[in-house]
Amino acid sequence: MPLTHEGLRQEFAYVTREGERLHIGEAFERADPLMQEISYNLIVGGHHEVDRLVRDALGRGFSANTILDDGLIAGMAIVGVKFRDNIIFVPEVLIAARAMKAGMAHLEPILSASGIEPIGTVIMGTVKGDLHDIGKNLCIMMLRGAGFTVHDLGVDTKPQQFIDAVVEHNAQVVGMSALLTTTMPNMGKTIQAFEEAGLRDQVRIMVGGAPVNARFAEDMGADGYGANAIECVERAKELVAASR
Amino acid sequence: MPVAETMTPRQRVLAALAGRPVDRPPVANPTNVMTVELMDLVDAPFPDANRDPEMNARLAATGYTELGFDSITPYFTIIQESSALGCEMQWEQKDNWPTVRMARPIWSGPDDVHIPKGFLQHQDTRTIIESIRILKREYGREVAIIGKTMGPWTLAYHVFGVEKFLLMSIDDPDTTMRCLEKLKEISVVFGLAQIEAGADALTFPDHATGDLVSGEYYRKFLQEIHTEMVDRLPVPLILHICGNTLDRMGYISQTGMAAFHFDSRNDPQKAMDAVGGRIRLAGNLNNPVTLYSKGPETVREEVYRALEAGVQIIAPECAIPLRTKLENLLEIPAAVKDWAGERMAT
Repeated sequence: MPLTHEGLRQEFAYVTREGERLHIGEAFERADPLMQEISYNLIVGGHHEVDRLVRDALGRGFSANTILDDGLIAGMAIVGVKFRDNIIFVPEVLIAARAMKAGMAHLEPILSASGIEPIGTVIMGTVKGDLHDIGKNLCIMMLRGAGFTVHDLGVDTKPQQFIDAVVEHNAQVVGMSALLTTTMPNMGKTIQAFEEAGLRDQVRIMVGGAPVNARFAEDMGADGYGANAIECVERAKELVAASR
Repeated sequence: MPVAETMTPRQRVLAALAGRPVDRPPVANPTNVMTVELMDLVDAPFPDANRDPEMNARLAATGYTELGFDSITPYFTIIQESSALGCEMQWEQKDNWPTVRMARPIWSGPDDVHIPKGFLQHQDTRTIIESIRILKREYGREVAIIGKTMGPWTLAYHVFGVEKFLLMSIDDPDTTMRCLEKLKEISVVFGLAQIEAGADALTFPDHATGDLVSGEYYRKFLQEIHTEMVDRLPVPLILHICGNTLDRMGYISQTGMAAFHFDSRNDPQKAMDAVGGRIRLAGNLNNPVTLYSKGPETVREEVYRALEAGVQIIAPECAIPLRTKLENLLEIPAAVKDWAGERMAT
């Protein structure tokens, strides 16, 4: 099925990397025009429209998985690309996330009841001393959308809280976020706490946040770094695979 | 051979901010360079050093007496006004920064914005004002005293919550503008009080950060307000915005601010090109990797890189991690002096 939605076609033009064009393009080409309409409205932050369209799609017999994959996640993929390439910034991502949330409110109960096994369990939190959570929350939304079970520890998370959550939920991956250069060192302290608790080999640790980069992540002893929510999902998938 | 120093640190900083010739580039701290080691040295630990004028002044002075920077900056954090406005605070311990609990905003729109009675008498605004008086008395002839007043965008994060404010900015730009117009009065009141107490210059942090909003956002919401601040706060202003800000440096350079304090994510040469000599640059030594986890040799390399690009005031990019090693901070003025000896002596 071709990409018929004119607005979405214009949005798709922002995707310029060959691999991404192929991957996202395939999703749109298999998508029903209604799914394309959902994607487009998610990208432009039309939360009322997404709410209405998702209800409409369910009423017309589309499965929750189809709406999630071909409508919401396909749209979020373009949002992720535009954010990474500095075409849009956090306010535009926030309105897209609000639209995704509006759609997910209808899908989540159906998906939860379906009994599909999650692809992995992730513990997420902003490190001790840091109260910023926008980036972390976007990551959590995308991880859940991708099929992960995520336990959100919130902000100002002490190393022992990360450790307790990993033990309690038997999680394969920990994701830590920091927005401040002053709190970034607490990522290293948390990794050290996992070592001291004898749990470092049992869990994979990924980090992210505006001032964090791959070099810092490596210096701190993390297993992975994601520059944005899309990369966070990619890292989580890689780390879960590596933990098996 | 070190260059012969013919200026006091204060003269050097003020000349650099004004774009006048200097004997060597100044080393300044528009944000904060206090560490746990310095707190221990003068028995002035966080959080108390943020809330007691004498302790605050004692700790702030170490930026000059122990580190050899050309300025003293007594406002270490970004939360003093917000505490006085009534925001819920998390004061933390010696090795963690105090912060505002932004998830529990105190206001929801422009009609809520006001300056509470006794705002300048509140413990956390008074601490900075009184500390500036002490520092001016003890060091004011010799060292530049840099105060700090938060811009309206930063205050908006604190009083409305970051997510709510950013959503407001896209859902209702007019209301957002009204919020900023009212919040800027808080910036002016606190800034003027610090000038009256003796501040030679003010840092003006306003976190329209590169990671959060676009350069176009800066132009639309803040450029005019920042230009107005230059007229209303009659000392040199040092605008501080974190993140990759190359896309807004052109706008920033037109505000009339004396300097822009910029982040290590911006290449210093590209930054110099972007501002085209219309504003001085201060920065941009990397905190989390270079100053926190590397050694003096890497610090020196970065200082030289900034100086070679023409950055006029050398400084860490932002407030440093509180466990930063002193040897790395001491290396900054040492490297600047060596560079000046090599490049400016002839």
